[in-house]
Amino acid sequence: MNQIFLQFLLGIMFLTIVFLHLSKKNFSASIAYGIQSLVIVLFFLNSFFETNNLAILLVVFLMLIVKVILAPLFFIRLIKKNALAFSVSTYLNTPLTIISIAILTFIAHYQKFSPLTSIVPANQDSLSLALSAMFLSLFLIINRKGALSQILGVLSLENSIVAFVIFAGLEQNPALQIGIMFNIGIWILIATIFMSMILKHFGTLNVSSMNNLKG
Amino acid sequence: MTIIILEIQIILTPLVSPLCAGVINKIKARLQNRKGASIFQPYRDLWKLLHKDEIISRDASWIFRIAPFIVFSITLLIGASIPLFTSFLTNTLTGDMLLIVYALAIGTFFLALGGLDIGSAFGGFGSSREMTLSALAEGGFIFSLLTIALINGTTNIFAIANADIFLHGKYLFPTLLAFGGFLVVLLAETARFPYDNPATHLELTMIHEAMILEYSGKKLALMEWASFNKLFIFLALWVNLFFPIGLAYTPGVITISMGIIIFMIKIFLGVLLIALLESSMAKFRFFRLPDLLLISFILNAIAIGLIR
Amino acid sequence: MLEIITSPISFFILLSLFFVGAIGSLLLRKDDDSANIWSNFFAIAGSLWGLLFSVATIISEHTAAFLVNGSPFPLLSFSFNIDLLSAFFIFIISLIALFCSIYAVGYVRHYYQKYNIGALGFFYNFFILGILLVLTASNGIFFLIGWEIMSVASFFMVIYDRDDQENVKAGFLYLVMTYIGTAFIVVAFLLLYKFIGSFDFVTIKSGVALLPIGAKNIIFLAALIGFGVKAGIIPLHIWLPAAHPAAPSHISALMSGVMIKTGIFMMMRLFLDILQPIPIWWGIVVLIIGIISSLLGVLYALTEHDIKRLLAYHSIENIGIILLGLGSALIFSSLSMPALAFLSLVAALFHTLNHAIFKSLLFLGAGSVINQMHTRNMEEYGGLIKYMPQTAFFFLIGSMAISALPPFNGFFSEWLTFQSLFQGIAILDSSMRWLFILAVGALAFTGGLALACFVKAFGSIFLARPRSTEVTHAKESPRSMLIGMGALAMLSFLFGIFSSQTVSLLEKIGRSFDVLQKIPETILVSNSQGLMIENSFSSVSGLTFLLSLVGALIVVAIIIDLIINRSQKIKIGATWDCGTDLNPRMEITSTGFARSIVVIFKGILKPSIQHTIDYSDSESRYLPRTRTVSLGVGDVYKSYFYQPILTMITSLSMRVKNIQSGNTNIYVLYILIALLVSLFSIL
Repeated sequence: MNQIFLQFLLGIMFLTIVFLHLSKKNFSASIAYGIQSLVIVLFFLNSFFETNNLAILLVVFLMLIVKVILAPLFFIRLIKKNALAFSVSTYLNTPLTIISIAILTFIAHYQKFSPLTSIVPANQDSLSLALSAMFLSLFLIINRKGALSQILGVLSLENSIVAFVIFAGLEQNPALQIGIMFNIGIWILIATIFMSMILKHFGTLNVSSMNNLKG
Repeated sequence: MTIIILEIQIILTPLVSPLCAGVINKIKARLQNRKGASIFQPYRDLWKLLHKDEIISRDASWIFRIAPFIVFSITLLIGASIPLFTSFLTNTLTGDMLLIVYALAIGTFFLALGGLDIGSAFGGFGSSREMTLSALAEGGFIFSLLTIALINGTTNIFAIANADIFLHGKYLFPTLLAFGGFLVVLLAETARFPYDNPATHLELTMIHEAMILEYSGKKLALMEWASFNKLFIFLALWVNLFFPIGLAYTPGVITISMGIIIFMIKIFLGVLLIALLESSMAKFRFFRLPDLLLISFILNAIAIGLIR
Repeated sequence: MLEIITSPISFFILLSLFFVGAIGSLLLRKDDDSANIWSNFFAIAGSLWGLLFSVATIISEHTAAFLVNGSPFPLLSFSFNIDLLSAFFIFIISLIALFCSIYAVGYVRHYYQKYNIGALGFFYNFFILGILLVLTASNGIFFLIGWEIMSVASFFMVIYDRDDQENVKAGFLYLVMTYIGTAFIVVAFLLLYKFIGSFDFVTIKSGVALLPIGAKNIIFLAALIGFGVKAGIIPLHIWLPAAHPAAPSHISALMSGVMIKTGIFMMMRLFLDILQPIPIWWGIVVLIIGIISSLLGVLYALTEHDIKRLLAYHSIENIGIILLGLGSALIFSSLSMPALAFLSLVAALFHTLNHAIFKSLLFLGAGSVINQMHTRNMEEYGGLIKYMPQTAFFFLIGSMAISALPPFNGFFSEWLTFQSLFQGIAILDSSMRWLFILAVGALAFTGGLALACFVKAFGSIFLARPRSTEVTHAKESPRSMLIGMGALAMLSFLFGIFSSQTVSLLEKIGRSFDVLQKIPETILVSNSQGLMIENSFSSVSGLTFLLSLVGALIVVAIIIDLIINRSQKIKIGATWDCGTDLNPRMEITSTGFARSIVVIFKGILKPSIQHTIDYSDSESRYLPRTRTVSLGVGDVYKSYFYQPILTMITSLSMRVKNIQSGNTNIYVLYILIALLVSLFSIL
């Protein structure tokens, strides 16, 4: 596969993040996350075809199973169990959200970050896009009040970091990927337990009403 | 010859010390217009005590029983380790000034423990006061010895006693200051006026007497004798370190005899001074004593500062 | 043979023995007895190995500097440097840990069924492991890892007896003070990294010329405060009297005997070894701190009636004495008098060893007594010598050693310290002379006051009549505890008698310092019998003293007991009681014993006395029902030093608290802003 296809995939990933910002229903957010993960899997598959490294193939399979299939399934089950069909509101209303997204993307493409993004000069645009994906994921966590969206934000942050790493040519370290797998697995488990605990204790997953976190 | 000298050195302290105490009492009695007891009375007292039975408190432990022996042996050892009438005996093993200070501290330690062991109010307070004064006197003691040590360039007591007096007059003033400071410490450590009244048995005024109040018989004899020895040791240090004249420089019957005689004269002068002091002043209130000891300390510190 | 013993493999075996002891103890935590035996067995084995290792290293002078590869981080390298100074301190820790572990076998039994013995064994072994790492690490970050292990393990052991809330509070204070110290140490290391570019000690030492003088002084102050907190110098000592009593007694012994010495170790390492050449005011500051700590330590000890707090204050005093030696070594080295610096350093090292031995002995003795009496208050003891005779004897030896009475070891190390100060007075010029005169005065008074304090302690605990009924139920300690204490007492005696041999070994260690290698001739000549300073300034022999004293004792005993008046009868009767009933209230209390000294020093100690009277009739106030007198000692450090700092920090924190709104979204916003700002500034 050639570079254009890869960049296209990256564009898809970026759009999923934007979609995460704008979606109102949790179900579609989970599916968007699944698509994002699929993009990452395709990146790794491409890398496997280029290097024929069996470890990467193993990683591909693992990722497919955990990130693309199991994770969204977990979330969907969670949604069904706790009846979280609609995601709660955001701090900034939709126009302001979009403006903020634009500002963050612009910052990422700013030339101040060029030492970071010109690690592989050919991929500079892709790297800037991945960087902006990172910022947007963080913004997702900030903007959304629902705990589920925040978890999705963390997971998409992870995906964007992986994308950055791939485009910077550093993905040859499979130990890194297996570590991330493990990380996600544990994260999901904890998140499920934690969210059900929060729900049980506070009665709601609306983060702004959890004022007991105040020092 | 050397063996005889060594034997004299070892025996002299316990032999002569009761005589010193007797002479002090006689002089004081005379000054008080009394006839006073014979100067050999302390010998008779020791003999009497050694032949008496003892009563030991049932609260006492082995520390009470062993303390007199340790205290007395320490004074014997120190008495043999310091220059008395000779200066040619070199003693680089136990003749160090710090060793002397701390060995005497062993004696104080066991004396105080013996006083605590019986659990009487007298003993307890005696020990408390004794340790207070001893802790404060130690500073002055070490400093006055240090002055002389620095003047002579050695802390070995025999070597100091071997030196020329005042080092040809160069260090007259520091030596005199240290001499005065040492006098204050001497009075403190030997339980004389103004620190303690060796004749009193009133609980408000006892320090040394309080600690040995419960002893009887042989143990009391040892304790009393040890205290006489300590007085003798301090006097010997006082007169021989600060005025190292008249010590026998070479072995020989004439020089040794002259050495002993001159030493006795010096001791007698010291004893006279103590007796005069005791007759002319009263015992100080207990909390005035630390000030006195501090004065001694400062005098000695100034003396050290004046060297060179 | 010696090569194998002193090799890196051997050192790793040493570390792994403690590690296995720790993990195994945790795994065996369900069964108290096996956890106890396992942890102490491995601690004993490790200590024996450590003794072998360190003695072999010192004798063969076969130092080792090696590296363990495999660090994932560039700045952290697992590098060890076992030179003679480290070997000496490993010797100290192994020696003390050996006997404390033997003691612990019997002592820990009284925690069975109450607390988790496995956890205690786990932390105990990790504590020793941490200390070993601290002593041998050659990389700043690795050193800090060992330091943390040591501090955290000791924290958990301090709060081990958590039924008593005081212990938990003490542990918390200890933790806070340790971290303040660690913060200062980190500052020092970071400054070194900034100017020299490495955390590795060897690199820092060779690159020390790169440090500008201002930074060097700040590093000195930071290291002094950081390691001073651990060593317990005044005014950073407030955790010591709280934490040492709270821990179990064998842990107190280890903490007091060894852990606070790691602060001294690093001060020696940094100031005498790595950061040379140093300005003279550093040595002056250390000497002054030594003077203050020794005097105030012993004065506060005199005011205490809690046996372990008393011993903790004596640790502060002895650290002061060690700092007197170290300070004069620093002064002499910066005045280019290496021979005198060598003398002072040997004095400081010898006192470190001696203090470790007799302080552990005293703590173990105190532990035995507290075990039987279930209280630390000395006012309730009394007459224990009849019920615990061996413990009393060992405690007596410890008391004599700490009061610097010959022929025990304390005397000889104080003698050496005195000699180094005397030389300073003799040789230096006027302004420095007065400082040394002051130091000699402080040391002289400290010795005298320590003697007074231990007469008080020994007398209140063991002598006279029991002051409470609990005493009559006391029994002698189990054999393992007696073995631990007895061995330490024997060592105290042996190191005193054979001080010359010990000092000749210490000379080797002293000569291993670069700054002290160019000594023209030795100032410390130890022949086989005694210690001697050059030019015949001083000499003393412990063996001769002991033999002559024993000889005199035997002669006197024979003459008095056997020759004169053999027909004497000895009757046992009651103490003279002036006609009243004998009761425990007639005996002097430990508070009463020391009260004279407290009153004399009332300017420093600020004693307070408070009367509270409860009257039967509050109107007329003639007949009191109860009357309470509270005697106290003013806590100067808390009110003038720590309280203002605490108030300032608290008010600052209240203002900063407003950042915490309780909303996770705001927090992530902070993260994003921080990320952007840092990216902007770095790139």
